[in-house]
Amino acid sequence: MTVLTGRLSVLRFSLHWPSVRGRARADTGPLILSALVVALVSLLAGAVPGLMRDTADAAVRDAVRQAGPSADVTVQARWEPDDFTSDGSPGRMRMSHLAADLADLRGRSLEQLSPDLRAALRPPVASVITPTLRFTDGSVLRTFRMAYLDGGDSPKVEWIDGSAPPATVDGEADVPYNGPPWRVRVGLSESAAASSGVRPGALLQVRDERGATKNVQVSGIFRPVDRNDPAWRLAPWLLDPAADADGAGTTRFGGLLTAESLPDARLAFKPDELRRIVTFSPDPSVITWETAHGIAATAITLKATSATSSSLDTAPTWNTQLDAVLRDVTEQVSAARVQASVLLFAVIAGAVLILALAASLLGRRRSAALALARQRGAALPVLGAELLLESGLVTLVAAALGCAGAYLVTGGVAVWWVAPVVLAAAAAGPAYGIIAAASATRDRRVPANRSARRWLRHTAALRRAAAEIAVLLAATAAVVSLFQRGPAPGLPALAPTLAAVAASLLLLRLLPLVTGLVLHRLLRSRRPLAVFGAAQAAASAGRALPVLALVTSAVLAVFALTLGATVQQGLIDGARETVGADARIDITDEASGTTAEVAARIAAQPGVTSVSTAQVIDGARIIADEALVPSRLIIRSGGVSDPSVPALVRSSSGQLRPGMSLELRRDDEPPVRLTASGVAPVVSGAEEIVIVDAAALAAAGVESAPNTIWVNGPGTESAVTGAGALLRSEVLRDRRAAPLVNGLLWLSWASAALLVLLGLAGFALAAAAGAPQRWQTLSRLRTLGLTPRDARRVATGELVPWALATAVGGIMAGAALTALFSALELRLLTGQEADPAVVWPWLGLAVVAALFVAAVPVVVRFEAVARRRRQLAEVLRVGGQ
Amino acid sequence: MVRIRGVHRRFGQVHALRGVSFDVPAGSMVALVGRSGSGKTTLLNVVGGLDRPDEGTVEVDGAEVTGLDEDGLSRLRREKVSYVFQTFGLIPVLSAAENVGAPLRLARMPAADREKRVALLLDLVGLGEHARQRPGELSGGQQQRVAIARALASSPRLLIADEPTGQLDAETGRSVMALLRAVVESEQVTALVSTHDPVMMALADRVVRISDGQVSE
Ligand SMILES: Nc1ncnc2c1ncn2[C@@H]1O[C@H](COP(=O)(O)OP(=O)(O)OP(=O)(O)O)[C@@H](O)[C@H]1O
Ligand SMILES: [Mg+2]
Repeated sequence: MTVLTGRLSVLRFSLHWPSVRGRARADTGPLILSALVVALVSLLAGAVPGLMRDTADAAVRDAVRQAGPSADVTVQARWEPDDFTSDGSPGRMRMSHLAADLADLRGRSLEQLSPDLRAALRPPVASVITPTLRFTDGSVLRTFRMAYLDGGDSPKVEWIDGSAPPATVDGEADVPYNGPPWRVRVGLSESAAASSGVRPGALLQVRDERGATKNVQVSGIFRPVDRNDPAWRLAPWLLDPAADADGAGTTRFGGLLTAESLPDARLAFKPDELRRIVTFSPDPSVITWETAHGIAATAITLKATSATSSSLDTAPTWNTQLDAVLRDVTEQVSAARVQASVLLFAVIAGAVLILALAASLLGRRRSAALALARQRGAALPVLGAELLLESGLVTLVAAALGCAGAYLVTGGVAVWWVAPVVLAAAAAGPAYGIIAAASATRDRRVPANRSARRWLRHTAALRRAAAEIAVLLAATAAVVSLFQRGPAPGLPALAPTLAAVAASLLLLRLLPLVTGLVLHRLLRSRRPLAVFGAAQAAASAGRALPVLALVTSAVLAVFALTLGATVQQGLIDGARETVGADARIDITDEASGTTAEVAARIAAQPGVTSVSTAQVIDGARIIADEALVPSRLIIRSGGVSDPSVPALVRSSSGQLRPGMSLELRRDDEPPVRLTASGVAPVVSGAEEIVIVDAAALAAAGVESAPNTIWVNGPGTESAVTGAGALLRSEVLRDRRAAPLVNGLLWLSWASAALLVLLGLAGFALAAAAGAPQRWQTLSRLRTLGLTPRDARRVATGELVPWALATAVGGIMAGAALTALFSALELRLLTGQEADPAVVWPWLGLAVVAALFVAAVPVVVRFEAVARRRRQLAEVLRVGGQ
Repeated sequence: MVRIRGVHRRFGQVHALRGVSFDVPAGSMVALVGRSGSGKTTLLNVVGGLDRPDEGTVEVDGAEVTGLDEDGLSRLRREKVSYVFQTFGLIPVLSAAENVGAPLRLARMPAADREKRVALLLDLVGLGEHARQRPGELSGGQQQRVAIARALASSPRLLIADEPTGQLDAETGRSVMALLRAVVESEQVTALVSTHDPVMMALADRVVRISDGQVSE
């Protein structure tokens, strides 16, 4: 401790405070610019990782919520067989303990869950739901289902009229096969009773799909104690009649069973028509991005170890799509996080280069003063400490502001992302200052010895080539790893940034060649201004840092801008792919007979330009090369008939190829031969696709029943209201509003804007660094008779190559970088089947190019105005500016 | 050739020129001498139109320099007056030949003529071998010779040189001065040269002494 304070006091004694203050005051411009860069980039880099983590959790929850019942974890178990009687006569046994069995299954299932999965799931609800019945009275299509729900001691109901459904007979009883339909007693909800006008005691006129009548009596009218009880989620139609649940234009009524009437309900149906299911709904609020992987893994093990659904014993079968839902969303989230870090790396790289440029400008401006200080006896370490004090102070204040902002936004700061910028900002100033001081006091004369001179030149060239090769190798490695590993954190995420730096290095090599060539041509021309401008440009074209900083920021800005535009268009295309039209109506099997009628009704609405229908069958059994390829079969209605049943195919596994002969397997009917005649369009949500024409299929003896309607036209939305349609505009709105997509789009626009600003700042800094030399030369040219206006033109001529290199090189290299898009798997974000095609933001690119080109006259005007009041004599006297 | 009448120049409190008047006859070489800070550079700048006097007039070849605007001054420098500076004032990014050719480019002389004249001038100052070298690759004396060649390129009427030998060693300085004297003869220009060097004074047709901003002869 004493050693440390001792050292500090030594330092304090030798630091020369007035020069520290004086230097800072003389160079407020570059210092403030650096501080601004540090503050802005710390804000972004400090906040985004936290935002991405929050967004990741939100996305996981969103996905679970959106998945709805398909994310439920369910347990199915067959009932104990009841096809026996106490006296051995043909018949079934009424089993009075069914509800207790179910409660037991529920309890056992809960015990089987591992703790992590149990924590992510809500308490189980056991349910028994009957097949759909139809009311035989009335012209409107009304359907009826009965359900028994058991979530422990929920859902609770209050009987407001009549009584809870009692047992039809008490205890066990033999039921002969040939007896009349067994009576079931149910309760109706208040709203169902009101809308159907049914009173307790009424018999419901219902039949099953084979036309067999059922004996269902209403015993009472109930009112739920808590309408929001999660148990109701499994059969919401028990509470209120549900429109369109069984197809467009249908209304489903529900009848509530009790533990007493459940055994009677079983007897009213065939032995295996009633299924008992225990449902665990995931609780989105407790699932996070971090726990998602574990939960998915547990769900997979659970499914793998459970009995298969076809087994005949009563062992429970576990089922869930939760693992798939979580896998999809975590895949999407990790891709998005990498995509975000790609953008952050880009911004940080741009910032580091600009900070280095600002520091080199400071070093240049101060080299005379620093050399003087050294001659007065100040040691290099002391000068370094003075400069470190200045840069450290500026950096810390700026970074603190940025981090405070990030903290306010996200409640945390991603320190590791802020660190590179802070380090670069703090270290670059002292480093360039010391280099300037050291080289100003060193004997700068080139060695007289010719071979010594050549050796110096060679080592410098070698060093530069080595650095370039290192960057090139790193960029290649990063790009290769990006293509091999996809959007993974680490090296792959650095690929675009490293590639941009490599492209800038290439341009840095090219620029002197081009300016040299231009100068060579102009020397033969008769335009003196162009010659002087080109000569100046040729001299400054080789300045590495300005070219690197400018071009890299421009390349990455173009990359970010194009990324944003591509994702934005991809979302639009993805929504179209998902829906297939402006709206799509999926009709359930029960109501597929109504498809044509509904389609005709919609087609008659104003503003509907096209309506098409088809039968879509997922998991159709297609046989190709004697292997089963479960495919999505699309039977298009309308079109020419063709006896060979041509089919369009698309296959992600490659098993379905045009030219193949295929077979469509059917239950209880001979298979149909198909000829794969062409390639099907991309269809969202299916990997193997077969499209056939309905008429051709009909000619081959297969009748189809369309179950899907696609609607297009400006009037689509109003035309399909109430038909349970999936609207493209809604899909698009939902996806755009999804936190992940929204966040990434925002980040790409913000990065693009920040990188353009960094590039413009870099341009100003680069121009400022060259300004003394430029205007000294211009003053000298003016003593030869150059007019002030022509002097400005020559200055413009000097700066234009940088601006053009930045604008043109930036856009071209940025465009080349979009080849990396395919490895970033943007489709995960846009909801498309294939990665989106690159979309060029022409307007944005034009604005970027225009900004860099327009910066030239602005900078020249500014420099000229700053020097306007000085007489040429004065300018020449002070050696220069 | 040059008529200076009652020129005053003040820099804030400093009264650098206090009523300077004298003439420089055409074709002559006038040496301007005086202690450091006496106002030599200030006077030369005013004469050449690089600076403006607070009072008084300067005429060069019949044109009143003090009444010209920026464009007029640019034309004056292009056509009639050229300078040689103590610090040479060459353009670092151009070769020696291009430096000499720069005024000719500004005058839009055809390339063939220009190249011929540049070669001639470089030979005149003894640097025909060094035409392609840049100023940074030349010695101080060589740079000043290039500057003299450049000053002569556009065949000016008046050559203004401010301590042209100030940064050179005695030997080199003397040769540069001899060169200056020779070209004044051969190129028929009028020269106004400030110097501390007695040798230069000896070479001049006339010596004007200046002290404290006044001609003291
Ligand atoms: N731009 C200016 N601002 C203030 N004072 C000036 C300026 N230019 C010249 N001076 C002052 O004017 C006076 C004359 O300066 P000038 O450069 O003409 O002297 P000089 O005779 O050329 O000296 P030297 O032989 O050292 O070159 C000096 O006192 C100088 O400080
Ligand atoms: Mg002087």
